This record gives sequence, structure tokens and C-alpha cells, in this order.
Amino acid sequence: MKISGFFLAALLCHAASTQAAPAAENRLLVMGSTTVLPVASLAAEEFTRRSGREVSITINPGGSGVGVNSAATGRASIGMISREISSDEHKRFAEARLKTHVIGHDRVACVVSSEIYQAGVQSLSREEIRAIYQGTITNWKEVGGPDREIVVVDKERHRGTRHAFMRYVFGDPTARAPGARLVTGSNNEEQAKIAASDAAVGMLSTAWISDEVAGVGIREGQAVLVSNDASQIAYPIVRPLSLVTAGEPAGLAREFIEFMLAPAGQALVENFGYYPVAAADRVR
Amino acid sequence: MFQPRSIAIFFRVLVTVLALTATGLIVLFFLFLVKESLPVFQAEGVGFLTGRDWWAGESYGAWPMIFGSAIVTLLALGLALPFALAGAVVASEFLSSRLRWWAKSLMELFAGVPGIVYGLLGVGVLAPAVKEFFGLIDGNTLFTAALLLGIMVLPTLLTLADDALHAVPGKFRDQAQSLGLSRLRTVWAVVLPQAKAGLLGAVFLGLGRAMGETIAVMLVIGGRDRMPAPWYNLFQPGQSIPSKLGREAAEAVGAGLQWNALMGLGLMLFLMVLGMTVAGHLFLKRGRAA
Repeated sequence: MKISGFFLAALLCHAASTQAAPAAENRLLVMGSTTVLPVASLAAEEFTRRSGREVSITINPGGSGVGVNSAATGRASIGMISREISSDEHKRFAEARLKTHVIGHDRVACVVSSEIYQAGVQSLSREEIRAIYQGTITNWKEVGGPDREIVVVDKERHRGTRHAFMRYVFGDPTARAPGARLVTGSNNEEQAKIAASDAAVGMLSTAWISDEVAGVGIREGQAVLVSNDASQIAYPIVRPLSLVTAGEPAGLAREFIEFMLAPAGQALVENFGYYPVAAADRVR
Repeated sequence: MFQPRSIAIFFRVLVTVLALTATGLIVLFFLFLVKESLPVFQAEGVGFLTGRDWWAGESYGAWPMIFGSAIVTLLALGLALPFALAGAVVASEFLSSRLRWWAKSLMELFAGVPGIVYGLLGVGVLAPAVKEFFGLIDGNTLFTAALLLGIMVLPTLLTLADDALHAVPGKFRDQAQSLGLSRLRTVWAVVLPQAKAGLLGAVFLGLGRAMGETIAVMLVIGGRDRMPAPWYNLFQPGQSIPSKLGREAAEAVGAGLQWNALMGLGLMLFLMVLGMTVAGHLFLKRGRAA
């Protein structure tokens, strides 16, 4: 079922936001990146179970830009981001003294509809990806695929996945993509749109690669680098996954961040398919 | 004990205060939008309305979103109206009161279904269907959004249009039929013209819902902040004002010009709905005078 992930995410967010609320110091709102969201949700469950008291942790999606914004403006105690805080954001929210707590790393894959992968497009060079997003390559046959127009899927400008991907492809995290046909938001939305198409290309966290959304290798010289092969430490599109707070975290926020960095939290990060902090040397 | 007179005065004051509060809130809301969007008009001038390029931090051209909202709403109404009118005529003039009750209950149930449910059906069913049927490379287009919106406003339009038709007194029908008109002819020549004001009201309520719908449109319109090329090719992706606000607002709070630009979009949406409502009332007045 192509949209089941989408449904599930919507339901999870809803369920998470409708629990009865205990006292204020035992409530925590976490917002932002949909790449960090699944591990934060799992960690919140585990943390709540172990804490032995009434705590309510609400995890809401929105994207990295929303993560930075809500932590800085106090809308949420913790923001989730899957990229660095941009210099623009540091300037804009200077007063909030944003503090980044890296909880792991992730590789971003260039993905295509499974039909395209099976038809022979199993790797692309950086130049080919750039030309596709610039709109100078518009048909899959130009890169060894079937004679079919390319459905180029872009993401909202503030998204962490986009920053990492565009920094690699264009050398600029907020580069424009005039070749884009669709603009999507969350990982789930992008995954659903690419799965629904038989000719799409996009960018996704490696953990979202599925039967219908295939990761293509990145050709660099003679080498073909694959995002879900952990042994290839040279894979070029990596980014940190972090929690953001305004100043030093305190109370429940601090406890939660400490839990995510403790062995139990790091195990959740690794099991989901990301790289724990200790494995930073396995990603470039 | 209160005198009936003092009770009447009390209620008159109460109603006046409530009415002023409601109007005042709308005026305040409007002023807030104007104030918040002022910086973008100072920075971009008329270019904010006519510009075709939107890239946060660099340029704010709202025309593709204004165009998208207008065209998607109008097309949705155009698609839904014939079905809504035909359905309302059948429900009001030809169904037994029992069947009409069932039909109306069902329509009101559909009218209350949240946008996200329609949105998921749009992503899962409608977009792939549009892609297949029209042989497109992708089904997320302005047309898909209009079609989904048309389906969404149909129940609202139908049930309100039915109310308008049903409010026409029975004596008009009796007299028309005693003059020898058929039932269908009676509807066409007598009931529909009598119900014009109510029907127009139904259209504007439907329009309001269509123009403001965010999440369902956001999921199928494509999300591209550019004009389709050529402009009338609605089988290309685009963007509507609510969809743009839905995607960008949470990130832009307190972000200076980007926030002001989004408020400017909100102001445009407000003015578009206001403009259409005023136009509708004028149209109605002229219809009465003639």
C-alpha cells in the first residue's frame, strides 16, 4: 500500500498530541525534522516507560526550519533538525543562543521510482543529478533509462534533507532547482509521491528507501557509492541529526536529551538505520 | 420582576454589542493583515502582486499563488455547480420528504468530513486517476486540485441549494401547475428564479470553503510556486495561497520579510473573498431591480 506510511504518520502524530496532560514540568513539546521524528518518538516512548512518573512528550513534524524556529521562539522546548543551523538562522535568532546537541548522523540518498531503477538507472553522477534539477536533462533516456519524462521532486527550501542534498549537488544548500516539477514537505510525503510515480527522482534519508523507492548509487570517477552500504565510508551526502535548545536545556528537556545520548537512546538511533554519535568516523 | 419592556431593551443592547464585536473582530483582523504585510509592499511595491518568482530570502512574487487560488476555486465551482443544482432540484422538488431527509443528512455528513480525509483520497486515488486518464507524467496538478475541491464543496452546495429551493412557497408551484406547466417547467420558470438569492448565497458559502481549503489542496496541487506554461495549461503543478501558507508559515514566524510576504498573501486571499462577495451582492441587487 503506497500511502500507508503517510496514514500511519498522520495517525501517530494525532495520537501523540491527544494524550491527557500531566503537570507543566512533566510536559515536553518537541518539533521539527521528519527525519529525526521517528527516533525521537521511539525514544520518547522508552523514556516515558523508564522514567517511572507521569510524563507527556509530544513530538510534532514540520521540518528542520520549523525545528529551529520553534526552539528559538519558545514554541517548543526542543527543536529537531537534520542539518546544521544556517548562518542566516543564527543571525535571525541570535538572542535565543541556540545550542545544538548532535544525536547521530544520516546519509541522504538520491532516490528514483523502482520502475526506473529496474529499467537500468542504478547510478547517477553528480553532474547528471545537477542537470536533472536544473532542467537541462528532462528524459530518463539521456541517463540510460527508458524514454520517459523525468518527474523531478524537490523539497521545501528549509528542509534538512534538501540542504544536505543541494550542498552536494550544487555546492549551495539553498540552491534553486528550476527543473523541479513537484515540491514536497516531509519524508513521508516525498516517499509517497515518488512511490506513486513511475518516473520520479528525489532526495530521501536512507532509512526511507523502500520496495517502491530505490536508492541510486552516486558515481564518483570509477566508484559507485551507495548510501545503504555502511562499509563505504566515502559516501558523500551526510548530515548530522540534532536536537536544538534555546540556551542550555533544563529539567525534562535535559533529561530527554541525555537519554537520547545514553546507550539506550543511541541503540534506537542505530536500529532505525542512522549512525550513532560514536560511529561518526564511519560517515565522512 | 423585569418588565417585558426592559427585557426587550436588554436584548436589543446585547444583540447590538455582539454584532459590533463580530464586525469589529473582522475589521481588526483585516487591519492586522495590512499592518503585518506592509513591509513587503514597501520592499517589493506592486511587484509583490505581479512578480512571478518566489524564493524566500531573495524575492517575493505572489502572482502564481493568486492565479492558482483563483483558477482552482473557479474551476472547482464550475465543475461542482451543475451537479449541485441538478441534485438540489431532484431533492427538493421530486423526492418524498423521507427520501429528501436521508439525502440531506448524507450530504451534510459529507460536508463535515475534514479536509485531510479528502486530501488522502486525493493522493491515493484521484491524482493517480488523473494521471492515467489524461496520460500525464504526474497527477499532482492544478486541475487535480480543482477536481478534488469540486468534490469537496459539492455536498455544501447541494444541501444549501436545496434549502433555497425548498424555501420557495408552495403556492407558486400550485399556481404554475394550475396554469398547465409541467413539474420540470415549473422548476425552471418559477422555482429557480424565485430562489436566486438563496442559490447565490449557497455559491458564496461554497466559494468560501473552496478558497480557504488548505490541506487537501496542498497534497495534490504540486506545490510549485511558478506559473504553468502556457498559463492555461492546468495539467501542470501550481500553488494556491492557503497551500503556500500551510507549507511555509510555521518556518517563517518572526522571520522578517518572509513572514510579511506570507501575511501579504493572506491579505490577498481576504480581499479576493471580499471582492467576490461584494460582486455577488451587486449582481443580486441588479437582478432584483430588473
